[in-house]
Amino acid sequence: MADVTIQRLGRQLRSPVVLASGPSGFGLELIDGVDLRQVGALTTKTITPEPRAGNAQPRLVDCPAGALNSIGLDNPGLRAFQEQILPRLEELPTQVIVSVTGPSPEAAAGVAARLSEASSIDMIELNLSCPNVSEGLIGADADAVSAYVKAARAAFDGVLLAKLPGDAGDLLCGTEAALEAGADGVTLINSLRGMRIDWSSGRPFLKSIFGGLSGPAILPIALARVYDVRRAFPDAVIVGTGGVVELGSLVEMLMAGADLVGIGFGLMVDPQVACRLTGELRRWLDERDIQSVSEILGIAQEEVPHAL
Amino acid sequence: MENDAQRTRAAALCESLFSWIEGKLVARTRSAHYARVVLESPALRASVGAGQFVLVRYGEDPCLPRAFSVMSQRPGALEFFVKSEGRVREKLWNAPIGTPFDVRGPYGVPYASRIPSDRTYLLVAGGSGVAPMLCFAEQCAHLTTGGVYGFRTADACDLLPNIPLVIEEVTGLQAADRLRAVWRPGLGILACGPEAMLRILANDYRGVPDVYVSLEARIGCGIGTCLGCRIETAAGPKRICVDGPLFPMEDLPWLT
Repeated sequence: MADVTIQRLGRQLRSPVVLASGPSGFGLELIDGVDLRQVGALTTKTITPEPRAGNAQPRLVDCPAGALNSIGLDNPGLRAFQEQILPRLEELPTQVIVSVTGPSPEAAAGVAARLSEASSIDMIELNLSCPNVSEGLIGADADAVSAYVKAARAAFDGVLLAKLPGDAGDLLCGTEAALEAGADGVTLINSLRGMRIDWSSGRPFLKSIFGGLSGPAILPIALARVYDVRRAFPDAVIVGTGGVVELGSLVEMLMAGADLVGIGFGLMVDPQVACRLTGELRRWLDERDIQSVSEILGIAQEEVPHAL
Repeated sequence: MENDAQRTRAAALCESLFSWIEGKLVARTRSAHYARVVLESPALRASVGAGQFVLVRYGEDPCLPRAFSVMSQRPGALEFFVKSEGRVREKLWNAPIGTPFDVRGPYGVPYASRIPSDRTYLLVAGGSGVAPMLCFAEQCAHLTTGGVYGFRTADACDLLPNIPLVIEEVTGLQAADRLRAVWRPGLGILACGPEAMLRILANDYRGVPDVYVSLEARIGCGIGTCLGCRIETAAGPKRICVDGPLFPMEDLPWLT
């Protein structure tokens, strides 16, 4: 049987499929019905220093081949996370990445520092690209990326990922800044800024007007960003996220150069999608006599993909 | 044996919360703007309490599924009352009988679990909000003293022939107008309908005890993780999909 485990970030992950930050919440609601042992890791909702209510309703609307959300970093804040959620994360039968941000490098690093005190947390994803809050698109500015990552790096010894935007700033500069400042990898891409209009009333559908587009609609953009970054940074760890909902798009993302593949929108549509994809990937590799998923990582960069 | 049966039932219920159940369109009656639609699935074992909803998707359509309140049920089948607009709704409206649709749920808390059972309630609905109210009237007749169901156009009468409706284009009245004529102090109110209707009720009945409104939002995951449907209430943040859809009006100060 083909090996779908991934050796990256100083650990072995059971699958390249990881749950992206947002739609899987803190994972606790999934325990009763989703076999989280089948996923490589689960990324929590983004934690901020203080509680955030997020944006007003409506903050979710469907789109052709996707959805637009303006949830806006709704989260209970660091203290409630530490007291009420963190102790329960040990129940999750998968590795956990805690998503973190803050209004300044120091504030985000403060969250990372507190989390570093918890022995169960050894992976953090710095969310530098939320399209739904005024201070969210930190990742558009390479200097800001550098400042955030440096501050978090100083505060946290574990694995540090930087989640960058796919539609703001120069992603190659942002990636370089993140890696030089000490990030262990980058997550590409966040949802893309968009809007919908209720054409019966003429008003923007979302209360906050703009939201982040996710789902298969953004897959080609995410693939191109991952491909670009892999080409420029052959050794970087990349979590490719954006529009993967089925085996074909999962394999595309791995071939573009992602080491791990985040599932966000897909989980909203089908809570079982990540588990199913791990099984389908294993069967797909078996059918082609490919021993390990590692053999297909980044092969779209090769002139003649050797594994196929 | 009983424990085994209970476990099997619990597992079946849990499965339909987290996994799509294959179903198909088996019956549909249309009027100009609405349709009564029945989806059938032998695997659909969940028992739905009035006010609960399910998510429906069409094939592998890579879109958010659509939430529908259940209007009635029999073993393996659910009936909905749907408007003719929206992506999934258009499919339900136009697809040939026999077309596959997937279902998962039920989600939300049954109305009866959210309200005191020592009083009776007037049921108020606008448009497709009639679905959960008719379900409640059937399941909880002992808690119900009547219904005021408003529609803008008269075609809804063809779909609900034995139910008195308030038709705005005929009478010039909306459900809220009719409610003012029939509500008496001491009666509770359960309401489901467009936000404009709920705002009128909030204006008329703010401070009256036991007034409850059933809220709608675009539902993402249905299981409480994505927070797409989270709202602010006087009792703290709540998710419509797992904490609702019914909320005491007094907990929704923003509904004005």
